[in-house]
Amino acid sequence: MSTLPQTVVRPEFEADDLATASHADVARKLTLWERIVDLDGVRKLTILVALMLAWEIYTRVSGVSEFILPKFSDTAAALYDSLVNDQLLIMIKNSISVLLTGYAIGLVIATLLTTVAIMTRFGSDILSTLTAMLNPLPAIALLPLALLWFGLGSSSVVFTLLHSVIWPVALNAHTGFMGVSETQRMVGRNYGLRGVMYVAKLLIPAAFPSILMGLKIGWAYAWRTLIAAELVFGGAIADTSGEQSGGLGWFVFANQMDMQIPYVFAGLFTVILVGVIVESLIFSTIEAKTIRRWGMQSS
Amino acid sequence: MSTTKTLAEPVIRPEFVNENITDAHTGDVAVQLSFIEKIWNINGVRKAVILLGLVGLWQGYTVGFDVEPLMFPSFVFSLKTLINDLFQGDLIWKVWFSIKVLIYGYGAGMAIAAVLVLWGTSSRLGGDFIAMATAMFNPLPSIAMLPLAMLWFGLGTSSLVFVLVHAVLWAVALNTHSGFKNVSTTLRMIGENYGLKGVPFVVKILVPAALPSIMTGMKVGWAFAWRTLIGAELVFGASSGSGGLGWYIFESSQNIETEGVFAGLFMVILIGITIENLLFRNIELRTVARWGMQR
Repeated sequence: MSTLPQTVVRPEFEADDLATASHADVARKLTLWERIVDLDGVRKLTILVALMLAWEIYTRVSGVSEFILPKFSDTAAALYDSLVNDQLLIMIKNSISVLLTGYAIGLVIATLLTTVAIMTRFGSDILSTLTAMLNPLPAIALLPLALLWFGLGSSSVVFTLLHSVIWPVALNAHTGFMGVSETQRMVGRNYGLRGVMYVAKLLIPAAFPSILMGLKIGWAYAWRTLIAAELVFGGAIADTSGEQSGGLGWFVFANQMDMQIPYVFAGLFTVILVGVIVESLIFSTIEAKTIRRWGMQSS
Repeated sequence: MSTTKTLAEPVIRPEFVNENITDAHTGDVAVQLSFIEKIWNINGVRKAVILLGLVGLWQGYTVGFDVEPLMFPSFVFSLKTLINDLFQGDLIWKVWFSIKVLIYGYGAGMAIAAVLVLWGTSSRLGGDFIAMATAMFNPLPSIAMLPLAMLWFGLGTSSLVFVLVHAVLWAVALNTHSGFKNVSTTLRMIGENYGLKGVPFVVKILVPAALPSIMTGMKVGWAFAWRTLIGAELVFGASSGSGGLGWYIFESSQNIETEGVFAGLFMVILIGITIENLLFRNIELRTVARWGMQR
């Protein structure tokens, strides 16, 4: 039998040197300045403006060559100029139409693959083998092959875009469908849902967070692949199909070749703008209207 | 006010006896699976069969239809080229070159991301800066920075590293920062209770608690970096002297040695699978899976 340690009893004492309690501010009205600083948008806008100012001042003071880093004002002027006079808008349109074509066809193929995969075990094995092999393969590496098979032109770019969209979308949709809980499936069957209705009304909503994740990853890969493809082979692709072709990547590359550095920055700004619009407007809206509203994702 | 609801009369169905039921008969409750069924139930076997089937299709199509090897070389030919170039050619050095550049870029990107996130967690200004910068630069494909990088750093490894840093930094910073922000107050208070402050607090509380999110960032960063590297080497790899794996693919396609293109693609897939399934999977198994944060 182990002996318990003796309980230590400390002597009682009274602290004599305590100051009298005084009421500090429990709730204080914030000053106007504090309230303004507390606004998220104001702080972020300030940072943005500060960065731009730093850029402008640095280029003016250090006298850095405008071929290395053009002034911010020149870049903004170049952006405005190419939006108004130059063919930047047409190039944006070209890029987006190629992107949408590839994305749409990719989604259709991914849907077919996923359908086969969730219906049979063999199909699911085929999908997982294919995605394990082809998902780590950067789509851009297929571009040389695509050029060989489809020639110079937008069909080669669409082919590489397909590759960049299909695997992430199919992979995520498949895991999403597999993860739908047995309870929810049984609820669906209880309602007498079968076949297409079962998929549309039960599986897709239940797996939507995962499907949306796949769509977002697919978009990110496709956007990067498109810009890379246009940078690399944009010239060749542009030359074959007339003057008013070539996309955003080509705009960046051609202007870099011509040493029109402000226009290079203008092209990069446009790439950022398109990316921000798609990611934070389109996908965020879809998220807010579906999974966040359904309470499947917080914040 | 008080309206009396009349309840529906319960329907009482007449009793009846079903005459035409056959004798109950116990079916197979447990059947011994046949040998073929047992083999087919092994996951690896089915996947190997699929892989072999695909390779067989490829080989059969190219040989059977006598496809021009310039357009679509057979599987065996591509594999031979791969082995030949690996052991007799300089493919292995090109692979090593690519991986070296990737490690430099990834390491530098992670280091910068760590500094940024530390600043972001310690001050509100830093947090705002991270939110702004990631929102702006994350949608920008890093390969689009390559023309600028070549202007600033010249042709060579340093521009590749710059672009890779850009590919890794924002994905990692974004995920780590949001992971830190979502660490529950309970865990934070436990840390404060233990008297942890500053860097030990981040290392001992925030990082382990946010590790699933950090891992996601690292994986996304790796995927972007790998894609960017191959893309960048496809164009400008030759300029840095030895060139990497992407350059090998481009060179082969320029010389219309399509079997070399396929050999390069095999290599890209192999490296991708190795890093994703061996490296990241193992880290996950040893950390987040072991700690029960992820199944």
